[in-house]
Amino acid sequence: MTEKQKLVVIGNGMAGARFVEETVAMGGRDLYDITVIGEERCGNYNRILLSSVLSGSHAPDDIFINPLDWYEENGVALHAGVRVIGVDRKGKMAYGQGGVLIPYDKLVIATGSSAFVPPMDGLYDEDGSYKAGAFVFRTLEDCTEIIEYAGDTKRAAVIGGGLLGLEAAKGLMNRGLQVDVIHLTGWLMETQLDPMSGQFLQQSLEELGVTFHLEKLTTAVMGDEKVTGLQFKDGNTLDCDMVVVSAGVRPNVDLARMAGLHVRRGILVNDSMACRNDQDIYAIGECAEHRSQVYGLVAPLWEQARVLAERLTGHDEDALYAGSRISTKLKVMGVELAVAGDKDPLEADDEVVTYVEPNRNVYKKVIVREGKVKGAILLGDGLAIPRVLQAFDRQEPLPDNRSELLFPLVDILGPAVKVEDLPDEAQICDCNGVTKGRIVVAVRSGNRDVKSVCAATRAGSGCGSCTAQVQALVDLEGENVAADAGDLDRYVPGIALTKPELTGAIKAMKLRSAAAVLEALSEGAADAQAEAGLEFLLREIWGETEEYERDTLIEESSVFATVTTWPSGDARAVSVAVGASQGYR
Amino acid sequence: MQQVNDQMDSNAGATATHCPYCAFQCGMRISAAGKEIAVTGDAEFPVNKGALCIKGWTAAATLTHPERLTTPLARNESGVLVPVSWDAALDRVAQGFKDAQGAYGKDAAGIFGGGSLTNEKSYLLGKFARVALQTSNIDYNGRFCMSSAAAASIGSLGIDRGLPFPLADIAGAEVVLMTGSNSAETMPPLMQYFEEQRANGGMLIVADPRLTATASRADLHLRLTPGTDSALANGILHILMRDGRLDQDYIDARTEGFDHIKGTIATYWPERVERITGVPQRELERAARLLGEAGAAMVLTGRGTEQQAQGVNNVRSFINLALALGLIGRPNSGYGCLTGQGNGQGGREHGQKADQLPGYRRIDDPAARAHVAAVWGVDEARIPGPGKSAYEMLDSLGLEGGVMALLVMGSNVVVSAPNARHVVDRLRSLDFLAVSDFFRSETAELADVVLPAAQWAEEEGTMTNLEGRVIRRRRVTNPPADVRDDVSVICELAERLGEGRHFRYSGAEEIFHELGRASAGGPADYAGITYAKIDANNGVFWPCPDADHAGTPRMFVDGFPTASGRARFHAVRHGSPAEEPDADYPLYLTTGRNLAQYQSGTQTRRVEELTSMTPLPLAEIHPATASRYQLEEGSGVTLVTRRGAANFNVKVTRGIREDTVFVPFHWGGVQAANRLTNPALDPTSRMPEFKVCAVRIEAALRSNDKGE
Repeated sequence: MTEKQKLVVIGNGMAGARFVEETVAMGGRDLYDITVIGEERCGNYNRILLSSVLSGSHAPDDIFINPLDWYEENGVALHAGVRVIGVDRKGKMAYGQGGVLIPYDKLVIATGSSAFVPPMDGLYDEDGSYKAGAFVFRTLEDCTEIIEYAGDTKRAAVIGGGLLGLEAAKGLMNRGLQVDVIHLTGWLMETQLDPMSGQFLQQSLEELGVTFHLEKLTTAVMGDEKVTGLQFKDGNTLDCDMVVVSAGVRPNVDLARMAGLHVRRGILVNDSMACRNDQDIYAIGECAEHRSQVYGLVAPLWEQARVLAERLTGHDEDALYAGSRISTKLKVMGVELAVAGDKDPLEADDEVVTYVEPNRNVYKKVIVREGKVKGAILLGDGLAIPRVLQAFDRQEPLPDNRSELLFPLVDILGPAVKVEDLPDEAQICDCNGVTKGRIVVAVRSGNRDVKSVCAATRAGSGCGSCTAQVQALVDLEGENVAADAGDLDRYVPGIALTKPELTGAIKAMKLRSAAAVLEALSEGAADAQAEAGLEFLLREIWGETEEYERDTLIEESSVFATVTTWPSGDARAVSVAVGASQGYR
Repeated sequence: MQQVNDQMDSNAGATATHCPYCAFQCGMRISAAGKEIAVTGDAEFPVNKGALCIKGWTAAATLTHPERLTTPLARNESGVLVPVSWDAALDRVAQGFKDAQGAYGKDAAGIFGGGSLTNEKSYLLGKFARVALQTSNIDYNGRFCMSSAAAASIGSLGIDRGLPFPLADIAGAEVVLMTGSNSAETMPPLMQYFEEQRANGGMLIVADPRLTATASRADLHLRLTPGTDSALANGILHILMRDGRLDQDYIDARTEGFDHIKGTIATYWPERVERITGVPQRELERAARLLGEAGAAMVLTGRGTEQQAQGVNNVRSFINLALALGLIGRPNSGYGCLTGQGNGQGGREHGQKADQLPGYRRIDDPAARAHVAAVWGVDEARIPGPGKSAYEMLDSLGLEGGVMALLVMGSNVVVSAPNARHVVDRLRSLDFLAVSDFFRSETAELADVVLPAAQWAEEEGTMTNLEGRVIRRRRVTNPPADVRDDVSVICELAERLGEGRHFRYSGAEEIFHELGRASAGGPADYAGITYAKIDANNGVFWPCPDADHAGTPRMFVDGFPTASGRARFHAVRHGSPAEEPDADYPLYLTTGRNLAQYQSGTQTRRVEELTSMTPLPLAEIHPATASRYQLEEGSGVTLVTRRGAANFNVKVTRGIREDTVFVPFHWGGVQAANRLTNPALDPTSRMPEFKVCAVRIEAALRSNDKGE
């Protein structure tokens, strides 16, 4: 057996750790000794849930995906709390802070990104650290520091009205602070939203208590020892006890650039996630640039991690990453917002389907190109979100009626239908497949209480859940029968049915003898005249050649019992009618 | 209900037995007067309490059906099945086995059993394979039903009994989460317990891609994307963990491995789970809140969740949920699987599975082998090791190293196995095929010898229902003159194979006693159960290790039968189904059952009252999808997958997802849903992926495809 190669991963975040997990799951430890170097001192946690930790919905412990002992249990060497300061590509060596030397055969760079902090005065102390009360919101450490500081303050400002900034704002509100959001442009989340949806989102958040300041450029953080307010370019100021800067992120590419790898916004990689100019070095996650895209969402990162793990473990040596369609949701309890793809039409033929309801801040917009969803903004109606996002993800053909997409008929049954409004073919008893029509016939034939209707039709003899509906039909039809009694054109005495009704009932219940008909349908005592009429009708229905039975009922069995006879007539005949839609009335 | 029950007492005095169909095993009273056989529900049997569904009411129709096989058949020189004597038929079956084993070795003989067979027959079939044929190749159609739930339960809880609590517990559950089960159609009398539960103020949550008859009765319907079950379970657990609603005391005291799943659960945040499952976040949150706030809650799974290539993981993820909430082992709470076939429970316990010996013992466990060998009076070394699982056996038929001579008893694999056309090809390439059935099923049509079998009301034996209650099946009438009980067939064949001394019994009860001894000390311990005890108690719940033991209605009260006594969490990361929609096959296909039909339809398709209710297989399609393909209610469609094509009529319904087509699997030939399904197997249970594959709709019926 050849010696194992050294696989080294720089970065223990959403992309790096996921890659390691996938590699281990695919048996990568048989091929590689795996080493992970992470700048944070803890294991890998779910960065997506940081805003949930801030808002207090998640405990910090509950967001760890790979705690420290995971690495030990899975035979992965972890250098936690070590920053890599250089890579020697010729010597195939990574240099960590504090003199850590780590040789590699294959190197995966997953250094992620850092908070972008726009220039402003007074943000830093003399030692270069943030002034007390000023934070970025990127790591679990940032998060716990913000929570700690927020405990003693009343008023917070968030710089940046993007996705993360808004989540941070709501999180701080949940901790009892008054929160102001300062945003540079004219509407919130301007890269994902159009102006109207941005405005609706703002109104939704204002209703939750957040205050917004649009088109404001923060020029300075005020306060000597600690933050006391913000100064804007227009000369106005805002008092606050703390400020969280959430103005976007920048890929961490310095290490790669120093190592001579090709870097534009991110580290340039091809479809195999390998760097353009070094096939033993790969980059995945927020630091990588693939087909001119730098992704900041978890789904693409995990897809990249999976593709690379498949290649390196030989699970699928030809696996390729072809790019991702991106969509995301705002994680603010009480505001349902999802965005996907293009926010505005790009081509002349693009269809724009919109529904706007200012009263409830509902805004739905779908960009359709070539019959497929290319972009969507869905605000205020969470139930519409999954269907649209799945159509976007899969690029599936859309219904011609686009409103089907925007208005899922969630309660497709509608309000409970009264039994009187149901059609005859509606099934009342699921267990025994008894339709309303059959029950009506049974009532009209003289069964005037639930017990006898059930005995005659088997309705209610399974789980019993339809008994109330049967009762309603008994009440309803009983009245009708009473009202009709005078002018009913009975076919035979003793059965309150016209000839067509009686024919329908005999067919539906498969009654083959006069006795069976009388047993099932008659109101009272049998009558010789009725029997003769029924014999005639039965011959008409079932035909001369057909063996219809005379008086085969065994004494013991009520109609409730199944009576099987041999030969059992037309057992092989299969009706081709679709659905049991025989109207009896 | 009570008023209906009163009616049913009119038949008191008739013989008490049980319905031939599903695992609910409704108690019935049957009276026979000549050729007329009358059925009523048995109001005194505490499970169905007198209720029956339409299948039960009409069950007697198969007994006297004109198409019933009444004599053995064998293929003559022109290849036509013609009547022969029993001696000739049995000689030919024995010779078929001998020839195949002589030419290719012991494992060239195979047995394919069924989950409708009594415990006695299941046991005897397993013994026959190991002792008379000495082949490792025996498996059964329950592999297509229960194997995923079984493997998951054994792995997590140490044992597999479908419902480890009595059905009556359901009525007391505050919240029930039911996934992948349409019991309102497949097991209608069960619904009385949910009616009672809801009358008590309880809530029902149903997860299903379809708005089934069951889902439409639910308080909350989670309409998940096919194949995303474990993401749903993980997502609900994530929310419960987030909200601090787990039972940490229970987790600490009664389980192990929770810390190892926390990291995985952390990756199933609601927004992500919404994307994967298509279930709106608001509904996920509501489901979690209902479960978390309930004092007593239940999680129940059905085939929708289990019949997937990730079926075991799916079930594990739901067991994780039940464990984290501290539900298992508490009254009116817990995890259960709703077993499907009549004896789907007992059929999986007594050695009919490729990897098992009686009492739910493992065939690779030396102690189990020694115990069973002693009961059988054979040398332990003579008992073969594990054999091929059901689909793998079918896939091997007629091939080198595969089975060359096969006996199918109580199963219609041509209709019920996945990738049915391939299965037909394999069956045709066998050297010898024998089929025991009541009718000339699609599988029997391919056989060299067909053996006419006695039916449910013509035989004695025991069944084990979905709650692990062992009950009596009783003879009401005699089979037609030239029809025999499978037990006598197995024993006669053993005689002809020179092993008759191990197969001489005075009747079913003696076999049951031997089964009891063979199961003694095993997980499914029947040693203390007797026919008399069953009669006296309306059934006995296993385990019941000795004569003084009253049986075990509720399991896990004090501990779990695992090495540590604790239940185990398993980290489950959901994966994609083996096949997902793409440009060529753009929709999901899922399969299931209709109210008026049962399994492969061999019985129910011959009952006029049932076929008139459901004469044809209907493909359920959403109106938006129907409109895209210009389909209307009643249109004929051909559905096409990578395995084959099948024909259906369209039922347009908003009850199905736009991306999914549902078809029932009760029909054969060109109407067979299983011509379409994917035989991708779960790595642990070897369960095929019946419940999800990719399909294409073709509007026109293809007249040149006549099928088998």
